[in-house]
Amino acid sequence: MAERSIIDQLDDAVAAMAEGRQPDLTNFGPELSALAGVAQDLIGLPRETFKAELQQQLIRRDSMSSPTQQLEANTVRSMSLYLCVTGASAAIDFYREAFGAKELSRLAEPDGKIGHAELQIGDTVLMISDEYPDYGALSPQTIGGSPVKIHLDVTDVDAFAEQAIKAGATLVRPIEDQFYGDRSGHIQDPFGYTWIVSTHMKDVPIEDMQKEFDKFTHEGSTKSSDEAGYVKEPEMRRENRHAVTPYITVHKPAELIDFVTQSFGAIEHFRATGPAGGMHAEVSIGDSIVMIGGAEHIEPMPTAIHLYVPDVDQAYERALKAGAKSLMPVVDQPYGERSGGVEDVHGNRWYIATPFVPLQTIAQDLHTVTVYFHPIGAQRFIDFVIKAFGGTELMRHAEDDMIMHAKVQIGDSVIELGEARHPSQPLPSAIYLYVDDVDAKYEQALKAGGTSMLEPTDQAYGDRSAWVKDPFDNVWYIAAPLTAPGSSVSTDSV
Amino acid sequence: MSQATESEERLLIEAAQKDPSRFAELYEQNFHRVYAYVARRVRDRAETQDLTAHVFHQALANLGKFKWKGSPFAAWLYRIASNAIADQAKRKMRESSEQLNASSKSSTAADAEAVERRARLFSAVDKLPEDQRRVIVMRFADEKSIREIADELGRSEGAVKQLQFRGLENLRNRLNEK
Repeated sequence: MAERSIIDQLDDAVAAMAEGRQPDLTNFGPELSALAGVAQDLIGLPRETFKAELQQQLIRRDSMSSPTQQLEANTVRSMSLYLCVTGASAAIDFYREAFGAKELSRLAEPDGKIGHAELQIGDTVLMISDEYPDYGALSPQTIGGSPVKIHLDVTDVDAFAEQAIKAGATLVRPIEDQFYGDRSGHIQDPFGYTWIVSTHMKDVPIEDMQKEFDKFTHEGSTKSSDEAGYVKEPEMRRENRHAVTPYITVHKPAELIDFVTQSFGAIEHFRATGPAGGMHAEVSIGDSIVMIGGAEHIEPMPTAIHLYVPDVDQAYERALKAGAKSLMPVVDQPYGERSGGVEDVHGNRWYIATPFVPLQTIAQDLHTVTVYFHPIGAQRFIDFVIKAFGGTELMRHAEDDMIMHAKVQIGDSVIELGEARHPSQPLPSAIYLYVDDVDAKYEQALKAGGTSMLEPTDQAYGDRSAWVKDPFDNVWYIAAPLTAPGSSVSTDSV
Repeated sequence: MSQATESEERLLIEAAQKDPSRFAELYEQNFHRVYAYVARRVRDRAETQDLTAHVFHQALANLGKFKWKGSPFAAWLYRIASNAIADQAKRKMRESSEQLNASSKSSTAADAEAVERRARLFSAVDKLPEDQRRVIVMRFADEKSIREIADELGRSEGAVKQLQFRGLENLRNRLNEK
């Protein structure tokens, strides 16, 4: 008979102990005997569910013992979070790595889809499941964000955030000392939930807190821009989005996100990977959103972007350091801007600029991000945009009938364009366009010469959308948020 | 269980006396000690759990009466546990007189040492690498067989045994560190 390995021998002993039998340790050396001793002491290891449940009982009991609650029967005893995520199993791994969560239990389908799982985070049990649309269980990635933020009280917020970011979370608001005595910041997990992480540093009397709060809100209302020079952080709510949002498709979207973060201070708000492996992400730069997507197997659609930054020289340097090549060095322009241009490794062109004078006076009609088109036949392109989407031409600068530069308003947004000419070759782009009536705009766009790629369709992510390719090969994702009848959603749409 | 120094523990107790929601930290510090103490005298898992729960409920209810006299908080918890075990045994006397003898065995230094060692062992499980921790917890706390664990984790039985071996090795090393 072949000799059993020490791993098997040790397990034989454990199996005997588990059944309450005396293990046979006669052939065990000192090393193996020591391990058997550890195993013997481990028999009767407490169950994690027991430990967590007892803690919950104690907390409930404590909250029940306060006098006001004793008076009222039928009160709520405790509150728990129940998160729905796309990819619950991966989320559990993430929460374990990022927050030190402990898995207490899981009910999984054969393919691993999780119907219900419980994790312990600190003294709280977090419940979590995969998406079940039939039961109304939808994740932030499907809905397009979560309005609920979760507050975590941690012992060392800086170390905690660092660990979470290492595990894949995104820092949404930096960790800073707050006027109310906490040191805290916001991080977003890869599944779309925002967590406020916080460590209490000192007690601040409520009167002092109110004074600080007054100052804070006063500053907020009078300061038009923060120190970075951007107008305040945009609301991510769908109804506050601009009519025109560029959708940049590249082979390596994660790298592009890194590039815009490093070069232009973009903030990542959302990132998801679809079933076919394509990524969809949204970042904000200043007051605008840029959608970024793609995958190795998806045809890229690089885009030209006119971008206002607080410090064009710095952004230009950073972009070159991040691998971009220069299209135009930074110089002062006669029309009151200092500007330059770079092309990133994915083929996107960034025309970056900082006005000499406050932004409002020079480019009052422009957002931080403006899409720049280089069509062959600029006049026909302008005609299409006006006919298809009800655009309005704001200005044009032409030389010998060639349109060098023009601006067309669509909804609250402006697009810019110039006739394709060396070195600015056509760069067909994708645009996410919010409108009031998808079906009507879709028909109009086809009449104006567009080709249908997708008829108006209700999408699982909460928009009704239709896709049209224009005669210049640009793709327009015409969309409107799906809302209940009678609700008053105001969109800055066409 | 991270080992709180005497002054840290004192602060924790005072905090919990003012604000019972802070009891969670004392619970975290002492859960494995109390459980190990009870488990040493009561073999049955369900009974161990009942008595452990009883000890902490009693402790929370009587926390205001606790006076710091220099001995560790755990000693106070052990006293509550010892009384609870004795009460339980008295109730059972009708069934068997032996039980009383077994349960009420007096605490010796060696006994206290063994309880402390086992409590440290239980706490050390939490700090194992995750794949090892899962196997150890399923095997020893959830009392599953190697085959059941292998099925649930989708790994081979050999791999599970290997993780069990590495886990026990790690635990032994951690115990020897102190």
